Amino acid sequence: MRIGIPKGLLYYRYHAFFETFFSKLGSEIIVSEQTNKDILDMGVQFCVDEACLPVKVFHGHAASIKDRCDYLIIPRIMSVCIKEYICPKFCGLPEMIIHSIPRVPKVSVEPLYMRNEKELFRWCLSSGSVVTKDSAVIKRAFISAVTAQKKGRAGINEQGRKLTVMLAGHPYIIYDDYLNMGIINKLRAKGIGIITEESVGDGETREEVKKLVKKPFWTFQRRVFGAACVLLRQKLIDGIIYLSSFACGIDSVIIDLIRHFIGNFPMLVIKLDEHTGEAGVDTRVEAFIDMLERRVFNENYNPSPRECVFSGQNPV
Amino acid sequence: MYSLGVDVGSVSTNIVLVDNSGNVVEKLYIRTKGRPMEAVRSGLALLKDKYDDKQIQSAGATGSGRMIASIQIGADIAKNEITAHAVAAVQLDPEVKTVIEIGGQDSKIIIIRDGIVTDFAMNTVCAAGTGSFLDRQAERLEIPIEEFGDHALNATVPVRIAGRCAVFAESDMIHKQQLGYATCDIISGLCEALVRNYLSNVAKGKELLSKVLFQGGVAANKGIRKAFENELQLPVYVPPHYDVMGAIGAAILAKEKLEREKKKTMFKGFSVSDDEFKSRSFICGGCPNRCEVVCVLENQKAIGYFGDRCGKYNNRSFSSPAVYV
Repeated sequence: MRIGIPKGLLYYRYHAFFETFFSKLGSEIIVSEQTNKDILDMGVQFCVDEACLPVKVFHGHAASIKDRCDYLIIPRIMSVCIKEYICPKFCGLPEMIIHSIPRVPKVSVEPLYMRNEKELFRWCLSSGSVVTKDSAVIKRAFISAVTAQKKGRAGINEQGRKLTVMLAGHPYIIYDDYLNMGIINKLRAKGIGIITEESVGDGETREEVKKLVKKPFWTFQRRVFGAACVLLRQKLIDGIIYLSSFACGIDSVIIDLIRHFIGNFPMLVIKLDEHTGEAGVDTRVEAFIDMLERRVFNENYNPSPRECVFSGQNPV
Repeated sequence: MYSLGVDVGSVSTNIVLVDNSGNVVEKLYIRTKGRPMEAVRSGLALLKDKYDDKQIQSAGATGSGRMIASIQIGADIAKNEITAHAVAAVQLDPEVKTVIEIGGQDSKIIIIRDGIVTDFAMNTVCAAGTGSFLDRQAERLEIPIEEFGDHALNATVPVRIAGRCAVFAESDMIHKQQLGYATCDIISGLCEALVRNYLSNVAKGKELLSKVLFQGGVAANKGIRKAFENELQLPVYVPPHYDVMGAIGAAILAKEKLEREKKKTMFKGFSVSDDEFKSRSFICGGCPNRCEVVCVLENQKAIGYFGDRCGKYNNRSFSSPAVYV
């Protein structure tokens, strides 16, 4: 049996798990290619117009492999941490794919809760039964998959360059170098080190968000906001570059939250959509690096701290 | 001795010559019309008879077309617009703390403290509230863009126009026109909408302190300037060379760079205005990325490539002094 795995959305976080699980079950794995123009075009063509770019691109990935596989894994991820949720678009992802793309093969529709191994195994039992009815095989594949996932923790942590920036944003934007116009390589070529939120432990981010009035609703919000505060306090970064997809609701909350707490600390927000002209991104990144260099050159010149900020008064 | 600055923007291409004491001795404002190389060429042609190549000590390029321009003229530096605008503003007035720049396709805010850029922001993916949008509305209302601001100042009743999106603004304007509101009131409403959008989008969360400089082509619009002053409750200054500040910055940056590195300029000379520049683009089939690669040709000879993500063309070395900084 050929299992299709689209290389989009949380593939970038959980690919080790899905790939190991289904290959251990004895199926052939078809992963879509890196995002490219054809995939982007197909995604935009099939997907509903209002969705964000990563969801559109995911449609393109699904469409690019649909004719080569018997079963498509469209994980309906509901939650990855207790009392926290992820973007609501994931709840309806299988339906979006089934109804937007013509002639899709069978699709996994089982909701996927990843808050503990028990829940995860429940999903594996039902999704694995498409390949085999032998629950011992599923159990063994599940154990290998969990091990593979734990081993392959993603994330970038480059310290000790002339400047270090935190690259923040959803993993499906940070690690898709077509979507983000190769920003990781652009930064590295300028001699900039990159740190991503995975470098900060889960416990530290939980500590950090205790200062908030309300507990974060989204796991991703806690992770990125918490990591930004920790990295800033430990003085590991000179600036934050936030990659956001146009019209992402979660990003809009996180960006404002970070801004509220960092005061004058430099942060560049790059909004990405279908644009492929790189001049806009290049200009912003180049100007941001220029600014960081001059600040560091002037011994971390920091003007009188802005009146901060959580009183609800906006300086403008 | 002069430093040449070229700012190739979406709407206009600006060329300046700055002398050693920082005075602007020559300034050209040319409509780009989507043909950046032709704009630069025609600009240099105007300067060719007045100046000698030897008088040009350094050359810098900026703006969204800085890559193509730097290949064409042989620039010593190609710098982004933020840095260029900030440098020009600080040189003009060391007291400046806030620069509002609204150009053809971009709008920016630059926060400066003690002569150093400490923060900046640019508009996001869409170009609502920039010069090209005003241009289009002026055309639709059949009012020359130069008079647009004066009309706004004549307004008596403020009309609210939706400012969040250019398409929304346009449909709102048409509806208000159909209802019979006076044109000058609508134009004034548009200026206010643009400023409102700028402050809540580009300048969101930034501390705007005096002294505020307003530069870029849109600074010519008195209506917008007044709307800014009303919103900010601060005087907003429009510098004399507001429309070419980016080019001035590029000229200063080029001069500084050569002085620092003690090098000679790579400027090709005004004779490039006699050369035939063309660009052609093609889709590279090397991988599924299908990059749109642009090749710049000088007298039918390829002098530079860009647009490819992998560097297959970009990294080819040419004898021409193309610089990417």
